[in-house]
Amino acid sequence: MNPILEIMNLTVRYKIKNKEIHAVEDISLLVNKEEFVGIVGESGSGKSTMAHAIVRLLPPNAYIKNGRVNLLGYDLINMSDEEVMKVRWKDFSIVFQKSMSALSPVHRIDDQMMEAIKLHNPQISQQEIESRLDKLLQMVNLPKRVLKSYPHELSGGMMQRVMIALALVNFPKFVIFDEATTALDVVTQGQIIEEVRQLVKELSLTGMVITHDIGVVNELCDKIAVMYAGKLVEYGPKSDIIHNPYHPYTKALISSLPDFIKERGEFAGIPGNLPDLSQLPKGCIFAPRCPLADEKCFEQVPSLLRNDDRQVACFKVKEVKT
Amino acid sequence: MNDTKLLEVRNLKKYFTLRKFGRKSFVRAVDGVSFHIDRGEILGILGESGCGKSTLGLVLSRIEKETEGDIIFKNKKISGSLKLDKQTRRDIQIILQNPYDSFDPRLTIQDSLIVPLKIHGIGENTSDRREIILDYLHKAGFEPPSAFLKRYPHELSGGQLQRISVLRAMMLKPSFLIADECVSMLDLSVRASVINLLLDLTSMENTSMMFITHDISLGKFLSDRLAVIYLGKIVELGNAKEVSENPLHPYTKILISYSPSVFEKKEKIKPKEILSTTHQNIQRGCSFAPRCPFAKKECFEREPELFEVEKRHWVACLNYKK
Amino acid sequence: MRKFGDFVRRYFTNPYGVVGFAIFVTLLCFAIFAFYISPYKPNALSEDVLSPPSYKHPFGTDHLGRDIFSRVVYGTRVSLSVGFVAAGISALLGIFIGAFSGYYGGIVDEIVSKIIDSFLMIPIFFLILIIVAIFGSNLFYIMLVIGLTTWPSNARIMRAQTLSLKERGLVKIAKSIGESNIRILFSHIIPNGMYPVVANSALQMGGAILTEAALSFLGLGDPNVTSWGKMINEARTYMSFAWWTIVFPGIFTILAVVAFSFIGDGLQHTLYPKLSGVESE
Repeated sequence: MNPILEIMNLTVRYKIKNKEIHAVEDISLLVNKEEFVGIVGESGSGKSTMAHAIVRLLPPNAYIKNGRVNLLGYDLINMSDEEVMKVRWKDFSIVFQKSMSALSPVHRIDDQMMEAIKLHNPQISQQEIESRLDKLLQMVNLPKRVLKSYPHELSGGMMQRVMIALALVNFPKFVIFDEATTALDVVTQGQIIEEVRQLVKELSLTGMVITHDIGVVNELCDKIAVMYAGKLVEYGPKSDIIHNPYHPYTKALISSLPDFIKERGEFAGIPGNLPDLSQLPKGCIFAPRCPLADEKCFEQVPSLLRNDDRQVACFKVKEVKT
Repeated sequence: MNDTKLLEVRNLKKYFTLRKFGRKSFVRAVDGVSFHIDRGEILGILGESGCGKSTLGLVLSRIEKETEGDIIFKNKKISGSLKLDKQTRRDIQIILQNPYDSFDPRLTIQDSLIVPLKIHGIGENTSDRREIILDYLHKAGFEPPSAFLKRYPHELSGGQLQRISVLRAMMLKPSFLIADECVSMLDLSVRASVINLLLDLTSMENTSMMFITHDISLGKFLSDRLAVIYLGKIVELGNAKEVSENPLHPYTKILISYSPSVFEKKEKIKPKEILSTTHQNIQRGCSFAPRCPFAKKECFEREPELFEVEKRHWVACLNYKK
Repeated sequence: MRKFGDFVRRYFTNPYGVVGFAIFVTLLCFAIFAFYISPYKPNALSEDVLSPPSYKHPFGTDHLGRDIFSRVVYGTRVSLSVGFVAAGISALLGIFIGAFSGYYGGIVDEIVSKIIDSFLMIPIFFLILIIVAIFGSNLFYIMLVIGLTTWPSNARIMRAQTLSLKERGLVKIAKSIGESNIRILFSHIIPNGMYPVVANSALQMGGAILTEAALSFLGLGDPNVTSWGKMINEARTYMSFAWWTIVFPGIFTILAVVAFSFIGDGLQHTLYPKLSGVESE
């Protein structure tokens, strides 16, 4: 097992007014070579914050309180901004969701992509750039005319493909997809997922897929990590998590999918609300909403039970079978 | 049969005019839609973004005026003018996608909920109405109900606020409720609470519902019958289970094959690539033909009509014989 | 109403807003407590003609021996009233015309838009000048005229707000519930959309004060009223050797305009912090 990405005890906080929001709390995670790990969670789970922390693109009011991130041999947390800029978008990159706001509206697509290439390859010739752009467009199934277009001239699906091409522009080894298909139509989303699967094979990519859509994760990933309110509650191979979840939150999440409901009347959600992330409770973060919680759950924080690559953080789980 | 028919729509059209550099063009948001809804029935309207489903909802709720066509509600024609008598106005209600946009941010929940009661003379005085509201809040699971009266919309979570949207509409006990993507913006675990409340209240009052969504599994779960919309036209209509398990129209087949699922991967039926997703003013032939993998020459010349292919299963496709 | 506390708190974090408000409050006190603050009656003649600032007359005296400080203090009443009334009329007209026009649309809206555009192109001051010159210069009349010629900028703002609010879900739902158009306008559109007009009104107050001062300076002001503009006009003949006759009323005029300008800035910052370059929360 060859870990491309190793996250150790990552803790990220936001400063808002005079409160501190515990967005990501003590997350440890491994992603092996050519693996695709899906990070599944709802709003407030901290999944997007974690992604931004890994690539060092957190907003100014957020900071990394603790932890280490080892990506492709780079100690990302302890590197300076300049050092990170040199490797970001070269060896690893990220595809954002809001593609409309990620591209400059007044520059053509080819100019924007060229800029990303030249920044990391100052010696590259114009000819090489052009052939690379052609290849990238082919990879994401876009016609050549897109190069000469402006962002507003493209449809949502095309924009997202441009974002993917942009992320791959220097043939990175590791890519994070942050809700990359959320705003798209079902068919477009499906097509892009297929194209990404193809790319994974072609470029031997390793990746992380951040999403709230378990169906997307099912199509794209090998492993799933479930996050709730900043904590990692469960991790394991995809089919295990979906068909045999251990953690009460995972169970509730899976059973709230309409796919799994046989008859009307069984549609269950999770009662209650997210806890106040500025004041972490004493015990397990899910306890207030958990049907199985008892006294111990409110007093102590459950540690991660591990068995090979299957992990759960829950006192009610006695044994973890792979 | 006529006694159970609550709503009948005949050849409904809503066109928006675009004026670009002096040239007029139309966006055919709703392009000749005909169907009926029975009392107590839930009709699912399934389609991707831009297909006109939201516009259909706004026209049927008489917030937007139709360009052409008839709408007959309880045997009375309500099309032609947006003016409705008070009883009818109360009888048709709508819930929108974004709960935070559906409430006046300056009004408390009590203020917002009292308005419909006051307008339609429900309750004798303010304290009477307050009681009615508290009763509904309690039914919807808000504990303690009185604590929520003084809150402002931005102080509630999306799920809570959307449940209040449901209450606001259902307090009037309408015969017809339009729910436009009412859970699309909510987290998975929260959707159930809104859907369950919706189902409870509508079945209690025998309210017919038009459930607009782009989520096939949700549409299948909730609806009695399902209508699939493409570019403003109904392409398939039938029993929900039938349509989703035995889709006939090529578009429906593609849509279903592409919807992400947690079950085994389905064989994808690929549409033909067309690179522009803007409403093409298709003058002749089937509007889906350019993308249809099963299109024949005839499909580009003749426009298909919706007809009954199997028992109570209607399709608009020239590949099927009457 | 809970929001008011936040609003006030946020307003006072903006330095301009604080300064503007402070000056305004001072001027307001001058106006309200003029009787107690001014040492002399504003029109009291004396033999100390054109005497420079001294202990007896902190701002000196004018050509009729009247105490300039007292006159400036009483003049505050005129200026502030002009500011409030004129800007008030302008705001009310602007809000109603803008909201109704934007909401109902159609031919009426097209006509109103053209009117607004026309007014915004004309140099308003000259229009006011002409009207006052023709019809007379009673103070209330001046306030009215200013109000009646400056509403278009408010209307334009309110109309834009209305057009955007009209598309919001809350208006659609209000229609669905059965709220009448009038109710929607007064309950939802105007209360939610009028804030930029309020900020603009602060600026218009300063403008109105300046307009009145200019009219008075040109001799078209109300002759029965002690206003700063009139004082400046009267001081023209003497200013080369009696600077205090023109400087003090001038300073106060500037102060008033600056105060409202800063208040407008403060309101802008409070209502739209992102526009003012403040980091979002």
